[in-house]
This record gives sequence, C-alpha cells and structure tokens, in this order.
Amino acid sequence: MIFRRKNREYSDAELMQQIVSGDQVAFNGLYHRYKDRMYYYFYRMLGNASEQANDFLQELFMKLIEKPESYNTAYPFQTWLFSVANNMCKNEYRRREVRKEYQTSEVWRPNLDYMNDTSVEPEQLIEKIFATLDQLGEEHRSAFLLRYREGFSIKEVAEILALPEGTVKSRLFYAKKMLAEKLEYLKDEIEL
Amino acid sequence: MTKKNSDQLFTDLLRNDRIGEPSKAIEDRLMYSFLLKNSSMKLKQNSFASFFGWLFSVQSLGLKTGLVSVILFVSVMNNQINIDSGTISCTDTIFAKRVLVADSTSFIQSIDSLRTDSLN
Repeated sequence: MIFRRKNREYSDAELMQQIVSGDQVAFNGLYHRYKDRMYYYFYRMLGNASEQANDFLQELFMKLIEKPESYNTAYPFQTWLFSVANNMCKNEYRRREVRKEYQTSEVWRPNLDYMNDTSVEPEQLIEKIFATLDQLGEEHRSAFLLRYREGFSIKEVAEILALPEGTVKSRLFYAKKMLAEKLEYLKDEIEL
Repeated sequence: MTKKNSDQLFTDLLRNDRIGEPSKAIEDRLMYSFLLKNSSMKLKQNSFASFFGWLFSVQSLGLKTGLVSVILFVSVMNNQINIDSGTISCTDTIFAKRVLVADSTSFIQSIDSLRTDSLN
C-alpha cells in the first residue's frame, strides 16, 4: 500500500474517498494540491486581505474534514471546491452589507487616481484591474477570477456560480469592457 | 502596435500574479483537527452498530434476500443428501433396512443353536 502510494498519483475523487475512510496522507495531499489556488481566490475575492484569506482557507478545509461525505464523487472535485469557496465569500459579503448599514460613514472606496496612466508595471496593473473590478461587484470578480486565473470553461464557471452560461458570458464581457474603458493602458493593448 | 486578445492578456496577467503563500500554522491546525476526527472514527469502527444498522435497514434488500435463500437451500440440501449409515438399499424394489447394532442376546441365541447343532 505504501509503495503503491509513492508510485501513483491519485485523482481528487480517489483522495476524497480515502479521506472519508480517515486517511491523513490523502488529506495532506489534497491540501497541498489546492491550498495556493484557494488562498489566491479568497485573497482576491475578499479585498486583498491575507489574514482573512488564511481564515477562509482554514474554514474551507475544516468543512472538508468535518463532512467529507458531502462531496459527490460523480462531479469534478475542483468545481465543487470552488463552489463551496464561492458560497463562503457570498456569505461574507452579506455579513459586510449588514455591517455597512451600521457604519455608513466608513465606506471604502478604491483609489482610482492612477486610472489614466499610460504605462504601468504588471504588478501595478493587476492591482488596478482588481480595484476596477471592485466597482463592479463580487459577482463580476468571481467570474473573472475563475475564468482567467483558474482557467475554467464558461460551463464550469456557470456550474460553480450556479448561473446560466449566458449570464457568465455577459459578466465577463462587461468586466472586460469596463477594464478597457477605465484603464488607458489596456485600451491600447487589447481588443474585446 | 498589434492588439492582443483580451482573454489571453488577462490569463497571462493573472497566472503570473504572486501574492505569497498561506500560513504554515493553518496546515498544522488542519492536520491536528484531522487527527482528532480520525481518532474518534476509529472508536466507532470497533462497534457492530454499523453492521446491524445495515442488516436491519431496507437498503440492499435483494442482496439480503439472496443470502438468506442460499443459506436455506444449503441447509435443506444438506439434510436431503445425508444417508443413514448401516442401511442397505437394493435395486429390486425390495428395500431392507437392517440395523447393524451388536445385540448380546443374538449372540447367545446363535451360540445355543450352534451347540444344539453340534449335539445333533
């Protein structure tokens, strides 16, 4: 069994089956396979907060420890994992909305002074992109991240977000359009 | 300057974006939690509760019925096949059943008859 594990790369579904039967090595393998991707997703979805991204990452995998049987092996594991992560982000936005009602004076607004720069470094550009996406809302940001960072197809993004494919397409188009409008640099670089 | 495809540009930008790694402490906490959960699971594995739960539930009824049928069939056939020892069966429709049990009176009788035979 030990020798077999060293020689063979298990699929996500197989690792989940082993986790259900209490295999810690399988859990460790699955965590290392997804920790960076999930951390990035939470980081960008929750306003670039590393501490909160860490908390959410821990909560996500705690759910997996507590109820591994909630995953249906008939569906792709990563689609399921991202849909759970997305629901966690949605709940967090709802909590923030409630808090905002009590703290109306402290509404965060992204700094958009740099928008008309004509040349920027890639790191700065990424920050500008996410600052622009913040104006659109979390639903556009999640579709954008899942499509371009994670490389999911439109169909998979639609499954993760529980939306029709047409809605996903229109959100992506609208996000790209807004980015092209807002960022002078992008306007010259891309075609929609 | 030629314009790039927007999908390719965003994919390149986001895939090269580095934000650092999650805290190592999370991994340690998760492994500890898994260990705790796993230890409570092993206690459950020693009980027969899950087996009896399955046995008296409505699931896998076909399998259970099949198993019971096989057990009944084997036990019935076992009794049918069992032939009494000491029974001699004849092929000419005459069935003679002799119980070959040592009977001391038979011996005495046969010895007496032998004696009378020899006297004669």
